[in-house]
Amino acid sequence: MAAATTPEALAQLMSRIATGDRGALRELYDATSAKLFGVCLRILSDREESEDVLQEVYVTIWRRADRFDSGRASVMTWVSTIARNRAIDRLRARGPLAYAEQVDTLEIADGAVGADTLLEAVDDERKLHGCLSELDDRTESVIRTAFFGGVTYEALGQRMDVPLGTVKSWIRRGLAKLKGCLER
Amino acid sequence: MSEGPELNDAEAFAAEHALGVLNAAERAQAEARMAREPAFAAEVDAWRSRLAPLTQSVAAVPAPEGLWPRIERVLPANDNDDSVAVRGLRFWRGATVGSLGLAAASLAAAVFLANQPPSVIVQPAEAPGQLLNASLTTQDSAPVPLFVAAYDPTRKALIITSLVKPGQDPAHVHELWVIPSDGKPRALGFVEPGKSKAIPMSKELADSMAEGSAIAVSVEPPGGAPHPETGPSGPIAAVGKLAKI
Repeated sequence: MAAATTPEALAQLMSRIATGDRGALRELYDATSAKLFGVCLRILSDREESEDVLQEVYVTIWRRADRFDSGRASVMTWVSTIARNRAIDRLRARGPLAYAEQVDTLEIADGAVGADTLLEAVDDERKLHGCLSELDDRTESVIRTAFFGGVTYEALGQRMDVPLGTVKSWIRRGLAKLKGCLER
Repeated sequence: MSEGPELNDAEAFAAEHALGVLNAAERAQAEARMAREPAFAAEVDAWRSRLAPLTQSVAAVPAPEGLWPRIERVLPANDNDDSVAVRGLRFWRGATVGSLGLAAASLAAAVFLANQPPSVIVQPAEAPGQLLNASLTTQDSAPVPLFVAAYDPTRKALIITSLVKPGQDPAHVHELWVIPSDGKPRALGFVEPGKSKAIPMSKELADSMAEGSAIAVSVEPPGGAPHPETGPSGPIAAVGKLAKI
């Protein structure tokens, strides 16, 4: 599929979608669905649920396209945020059992980004990965786990068997460093 | 790496909301705060943008062939050309609509209760005004009715019935709003979960009620929105438009 991929082309699609142009939504789907399906799968680890969520994501994009503001975020950021939020909502709806299943999966391995990915990475992505890798491994892993798992402080504390206040201070310090690094 | 500057409380809260580590009650607080404090909302946006590139490192996986036709089948009529009334309510952010604090707890109850429709008292046929009716639903891809409203022009009253199961969220109240054609929300008081009530309206407000006037219910702290003159402070639980029965 030859799909529009530049940020400008995607932003133009959004304004067409906002006026009710289904063809534009189809183009956006061709350009972004593989990435968003990957995000849903990464969070839910379940194909069927990921398909349901992906469907919701595009219906949401369709309905809320008029609120997209290119001055605030890129289209990719905006649609990825919707996909992540929807997938995490679904994960949370599974209930506490879902968290229990994942106790052993604090994912340090996830930090390793393949060379291909790095080559393709746009600047801000590369920068974020660079800054994350400057954090200590534990903090980086906790931040990634929280981001992809929708895992609350309470649940993180339980998983890692440390007091809630400790997890909180790791994450807060990590986020402060991350911000400092991204602004350099 | 050198120590970054400490985050102040508001910034840390915004970052935690964007990262997703807050529990349900805190998330609802953060959403409410985003709705009433643009600076806080901008902070959350900024953190979302900082973290969003993480999703770009996830491997792309082609979506299954049959998915697009499924999506196309369920696309609602695009509602982006809504009346000024409904647009006036769109102060909360599209990306977060799925994570409203209220929703998860109340929806299951609402689905259950929706099978037991409330009996709305209808005026006799000789009533001079036309009764208007609205089903207030959640605003997502599969709208669920949470409230039923009827405007009775003879009594100049709005009759509202909550389908929400009582006792789900004692920390918040459900505040009723009407948005006539001028697009400005007017607070009409509270709706207790599972109850019905008739709310008398001022003549001025009653005269502005018409087909298409929007009725909404927001989730507010006890005592209601702190500045009702500027509209809801919390997330909108359900919205509907009055129509002739």
